[in-house]
Amino acid sequence: MSTSTAAPPTVVNFTVDGRQLSAPPGTLLIDACKRAGIEIPAFCYYEGYSLQAACRMCLVEVEKMPKLQTACTLPVMEGMIVRSETEQIHKARKGTLEFLLTNHPLDCPVCDKGGECELQDMVFRYGAGESRFTEIKNHEPERQWSPVVFYDPARCILCYRCVRACNEGMGVGALGVTNRGVVSEIAPNMVDHLDCDECGACIDICPVGALTSNTYRYKTRPWEMQHVGTVCTHCSNGCKTTLGVRNDEIVRGNNRDRSGINGEFLCVKGRYGFDVSTNEERVTSPMIRINGKLEAVSWSKALGFVAEKFRSVSTAGGSFGVVAGPHLTNEELFYLQKFTRAGLKTSNLDHARSGDLVTLLDALSGKTDALATSDDCYNTKAALVIGSDLSQQHPFLAFQLRADVRHHKANIYTVTPGPVREAKYSAQSIEVPVGGEFDALRNLTETLKGEQELVILFGDSIKGQRVRDLVEWASGLGIPVKYVCLVDYSNSRGAMDMGVMPNLLPGYEVDPHPGMSLGQMLSHETLDVLWVVGANPLRGKTLASKQAFVVTQTMFLEETSERADVVFPSASAYEKNGTVTNVTGQVQRLKAAVRTMGAKTDLEICGLLAKELGLAVEIGVWSHDVVFKEIHKSVRGYNVPLPILITGGAAATNPVNGRVAVDVRIEDIQSAGDTLFTSGELGRYSKLLTSVPEFPGALYKR
Amino acid sequence: MALITNILNNAAAVAKGMSVTLVEMLQPTITDAYPEGPAKLEERYRGVHVLQRDENGLEKCVGCFLCAAACPSNCIYIEAAENTEEGRISGGERYASVYNIDYSRCIFCGFCVEACPTDAITHGHKFEIASYNTSTLVYRKEQMLTPLPADFKPLVVKQEAPSAGH
Ligand code: SF4
Ligand code: SF4
Ligand code: SF4
Ligand code: SF4
Ligand code: SF4
Ligand code: FES
Repeated sequence: MSTSTAAPPTVVNFTVDGRQLSAPPGTLLIDACKRAGIEIPAFCYYEGYSLQAACRMCLVEVEKMPKLQTACTLPVMEGMIVRSETEQIHKARKGTLEFLLTNHPLDCPVCDKGGECELQDMVFRYGAGESRFTEIKNHEPERQWSPVVFYDPARCILCYRCVRACNEGMGVGALGVTNRGVVSEIAPNMVDHLDCDECGACIDICPVGALTSNTYRYKTRPWEMQHVGTVCTHCSNGCKTTLGVRNDEIVRGNNRDRSGINGEFLCVKGRYGFDVSTNEERVTSPMIRINGKLEAVSWSKALGFVAEKFRSVSTAGGSFGVVAGPHLTNEELFYLQKFTRAGLKTSNLDHARSGDLVTLLDALSGKTDALATSDDCYNTKAALVIGSDLSQQHPFLAFQLRADVRHHKANIYTVTPGPVREAKYSAQSIEVPVGGEFDALRNLTETLKGEQELVILFGDSIKGQRVRDLVEWASGLGIPVKYVCLVDYSNSRGAMDMGVMPNLLPGYEVDPHPGMSLGQMLSHETLDVLWVVGANPLRGKTLASKQAFVVTQTMFLEETSERADVVFPSASAYEKNGTVTNVTGQVQRLKAAVRTMGAKTDLEICGLLAKELGLAVEIGVWSHDVVFKEIHKSVRGYNVPLPILITGGAAATNPVNGRVAVDVRIEDIQSAGDTLFTSGELGRYSKLLTSVPEFPGALYKR
Repeated sequence: MALITNILNNAAAVAKGMSVTLVEMLQPTITDAYPEGPAKLEERYRGVHVLQRDENGLEKCVGCFLCAAACPSNCIYIEAAENTEEGRISGGERYASVYNIDYSRCIFCGFCVEACPTDAITHGHKFEIASYNTSTLVYRKEQMLTPLPADFKPLVVKQEAPSAGH
């Protein structure tokens, strides 16, 4: 996210420490140096956020300028001669550090930041071993601002990074500065507590240990953890996250290395929502309903029992219904659909659908390059959000748009049923009830015709024919348009791509023998078997069939499992290897960070069932690598470059370009309407998410 | 002739040797009668570690993991937890809820003592820890923590006072 992308393509030549360098005009000296491998120390400067020039660590010597200059505010100029390491500079840096340490406690042994603290590093490099100040240090007790955020004013060096991250990055602006001089400190918006996104961006960006998080506080030290790069398991945005693991327990989630599509962005779910995996309500053993009560049994007994039932229903020509969850990996979904179609010989297979991508693909048939990636959301000149409270439902995409506005002066337009955060920085925000979107769009037509390009993000209120209408309307604008069809969960997109739908095979090939959709299965009165893998379709719904034998693979005994005859304990996405595909069609690798006693991955459970049924040869090996190879080879769009995946990157699946001529049952498409603080079935079992005062949040409120 | 000189030389050598023996016999003993008697250890002897307490009787260890990081044989295992107002264990914000040293691996090098920022870990003089069962060689915090004297009274109780200006 460089601030220089928009600069004209000429270059400025200058010299740093005797090296000839060049950079586009307008580049800040500190950035230009960093790119050339010359490190200039900085506390307050942070790439991507506004300039502060508060810390004076970045001082450099520039010829013909009488005083030391702050490299973080100085754009490079033609012929400039800069020195970054001289006696005078070292002295200045040492002085700055001495000032910073006047009130700073000697907390390193207990401070959470110890070992990865920028202040420690700087003092180690430039600082003095002792201080000339003999006055008693100012001390203020630590404060807890929310279940997530703690602030220790004594450790704060007032770099204002947190203030800018919250205000500019998150668009929340919950942090400010109070008091003056030596007693100034950071203050939350509600005087003594925070009312905010609880995203922890402030904690993450703090160069010192002034802001700390409740989940990580005093638990471990940075060098004691293993760092596992995986993908957030909550919403569909697919943020990469690096989990800090100690003793088979996840203690921290962040993305400090700024790798992946999201850089260091994470919302509260990605950063703290991992506690679902350690919730003590987790099912840890297979269970069979005996005399109306679920009793723990051995794996072999439960598998044998289910296989027996499946076999007898199959021989009797009974009906199966299979429901998959939106958090399963692509491998699990692919394996499950193969199991269902090839093994159970039915296409009664579905997942809770949250966006009408199928119609979009059909409507875009023949157009190339028409699906936007998350990068497009950051680079586009204009974006239009229809029917989604983006900051609540798709935090990362909203973050991308905010960054786009800050860095590229993009124009954002929103057409939503209620007030949204985007209105604060959008070019135009229109509130219309669901159904009235097209009237609003017609009013925007002339304005949008003046844009150079457009990314349209639309929610579940645009489905069926309305998707076609939208595409037709957008084609009339005469500018390049790309689309994002918003879906709910971490692998909702993958479930569609992998053909977990009654009428589509993997890669959106039409199924010649379509089956029942989720709604049809639930209302089918003589359904014999309902097999639910990682989902909870009976939440707020009833199963019409009284005779149905219900099998669930689940982490918790939710509504569906309460009706189940057999329950298998399944692993959470933090305990799985495989791949997931995000809302913008980028596949990423999921890596197991921890193990939980008793649970098996859904892939393994399906595999063991296949083996028990004698179908293992037909359906294949239940190893995620082997299944991925098959996906890579056979599913349209998934022939992605493997090195990108293996190194933890996000590979764009090549969108299917062609007709997808199926009947889309739009009554089955409905977003769960999660907010920043809810996450469907997962969120219910996260103690942290349910403990923040903002829980459960509301759509169209901020 | 040669024979007599030879004998005399040898006798002289024996006498010289014996004189050393005789002189040493009259010197104070420096070898220990261990294990018949107690072993005498120097002040700086590095034996089984002792975890120290401060003048308030609180544990000095703040669970910073620096000893574990310094340990070349990777034998220190710590779990840290946060002190609360009701349950204060150490003087700092954090304390070690679990502190184990595996003496089947410790090489008594003293690096941990050197690394400790709060002088919480020191070497004691206990050394008779041989065992037929290596699992007994993993010492827990309770085994190493210096006991509180029965008549212990905290010396100072520090109260945090907010500074002026707010
Ligand atoms: S913020 Fe850094 S320098 Fe300050 S106590 Fe913590 S680790 Fe030490
Ligand atoms: S947690 Fe996020 S929203 Fe809350 S104050 Fe920090 S940066 Fe702002
Ligand atoms: S809390 Fe951290 S990020 Fe915020 S001003 Fe203080 S030191 Fe900087
Ligand atoms: S935006 Fe979505 S994917 Fe990213 S951290 Fe939040 S919940 Fe996870
Ligand atoms: S004495 Fe050496 S080997 Fe033993 S615990 Fe300390 S650092 Fe480790
Ligand atoms: S980095 Fe330049 S003043 Fe802080």
